[in-house]
Amino acid sequence: MNGGLRVSRRIYAVFVLPSLLVYLLLVFFPILTSVYFSMLNWSGIGKAKYIGIENFVNLFTKDKVFWTSLKNTFLIVGYSLIELPITLLVAILVNRHVRRSNFLISVYFIPIIMSSVVVGQLWKAIYNPVSQGGMLNKILISTGLESWTKAWIADPSTAIYALIIVGMWQVFGYYVLLYFTAIRGIPDELFEAARIDGAEGLKADLHITLPLVGYVIKISTILMVVGALKAFDIVLVMTGGGPAHRTEVISSYMYNMSFISLKYGYGSALSTVLVLLCLIATVIMNRAFKRFD
Amino acid sequence: MSLKQILIRGPLLILLATQIYPLFWLLLYSLKTTDEIMKGSFIALPDSFRWGNYAKAFTEGHYLKYLWNSIIVTCITVAVTILLSTMVSYALARFKSRMSQPVLLLFMIGIMIPIQSTLLPLMIIFRKIGILDTHLSLILPYVAFSIPIAVMIMSGFMRDIPYELEESAFIDGASILRMFFSIVLPISMPPVMTVCILTFISNWNEYIMAATFLSSVDLRTLPFGTNSFMSQNTTDYGALGAYLVMSVLPVILIYFFLSEKITSGMMAGAVKG
Repeated sequence: MNGGLRVSRRIYAVFVLPSLLVYLLLVFFPILTSVYFSMLNWSGIGKAKYIGIENFVNLFTKDKVFWTSLKNTFLIVGYSLIELPITLLVAILVNRHVRRSNFLISVYFIPIIMSSVVVGQLWKAIYNPVSQGGMLNKILISTGLESWTKAWIADPSTAIYALIIVGMWQVFGYYVLLYFTAIRGIPDELFEAARIDGAEGLKADLHITLPLVGYVIKISTILMVVGALKAFDIVLVMTGGGPAHRTEVISSYMYNMSFISLKYGYGSALSTVLVLLCLIATVIMNRAFKRFD
Repeated sequence: MSLKQILIRGPLLILLATQIYPLFWLLLYSLKTTDEIMKGSFIALPDSFRWGNYAKAFTEGHYLKYLWNSIIVTCITVAVTILLSTMVSYALARFKSRMSQPVLLLFMIGIMIPIQSTLLPLMIIFRKIGILDTHLSLILPYVAFSIPIAVMIMSGFMRDIPYELEESAFIDGASILRMFFSIVLPISMPPVMTVCILTFISNWNEYIMAATFLSSVDLRTLPFGTNSFMSQNTTDYGALGAYLVMSVLPVILIYFFLSEKITSGMMAGAVKG
């Protein structure tokens, strides 16, 4: 950049202020308000009482559901991180072994453009008990695994995993596409040269593909982890956090506290924890990846 | 086909099936009677296609009203987002100012902030200023949350526009606003299209804010309307399936015609991040 265009302050304001104000008033200001609310004992009606960090103390020391929701949130992050290398492998294989690769990739991608309401409701129907025509249970019966049938999302032992699978299913095609496009951008000559040197297939991938898609690995890891920390819609649509809080994540617990139990202060404390988690995770990952570069 | 190829292509095809079969199953489901759904096999075709499920879902579920609301809210959101974010991106990328760096950083933080953390404060603010339960209460936050990613994509593009274009316009004595609209905006069409697609898809599908800020049935957007239809009609499975199919149809149709643009747009949205 050669210094940029010189403009008057007024012109600068005309271009910058509208977006900046909209953004500050509707994103930043509410977040700060919510930090303030988190120090109140308030039900939305009547007077709010300032109680300092009491909500946070209760959250971390007395609230079992909070720990469940934290555990579930990290469980989702964990499974998402397992999914990433799989999507990379799929992208490599599709690129090398499938002739109509673009078609395959765009079909993999379909779930990501669908609303979480449709995805959640569709999978609810898939997980339904046999008596309500659930697809999964019917498949189990027709393959002779009748003893495995379950009400997947009503059963506390399977509910959270059932939801995690839905989340993984929905984002799968997105990450395959990210890697696929990056791999497509690698010049063929590099693979040719590697072949002459005797490196083919997965060996060539280790030395050529992996380093060259490094920046996408970084981006996708950050997107995946922050996305998993924010996970919310699917939980709300499919279980609302139940049965007995077993599928609660931080966001759903925050929502239930704020809008169902009407504990505005407590809900805001949860919301503050969520924002902090997302920001801290981003900073940590950026630092970690910088070391790799 | 060699054994190796079968071993590689097999799993890829299975993945294809897991990604697409649930949708196909939903389509069958939507054409069955409740009895067929409960007793029949998961792969069986219905005896006869029950188009009545669609008629029922269509008339009882306010489908056209919700669709129209979604179109209105999403289109206004996209238009305002494009206008605001192209202007601010241009300023941040081209104007000489010490403010630009910190402002850009501020926008970048917004990409990481979870949208749901603003739900409660926004609801209270909107109630106070009297716009709760209006479409404005959706459009405002939708625009605000769409701006950061839009700024990131577009300021990256605008930084690379050659300065000669603007300099020659300056010599002609064009005002900076006119230059922006007649020169900068037209050549920025590729990132504008990307932002259009990203903003459209994410806001078209948005559910939580709609469900929190709207209470009038008449104002509901399609995802919210769909979810309420699901929770109100829990026994007529065929009609529920039909409603889900109708709900997903608009984006599937758009995707069918624009899949290349959509995938490359969403790719750009991530990589520029």
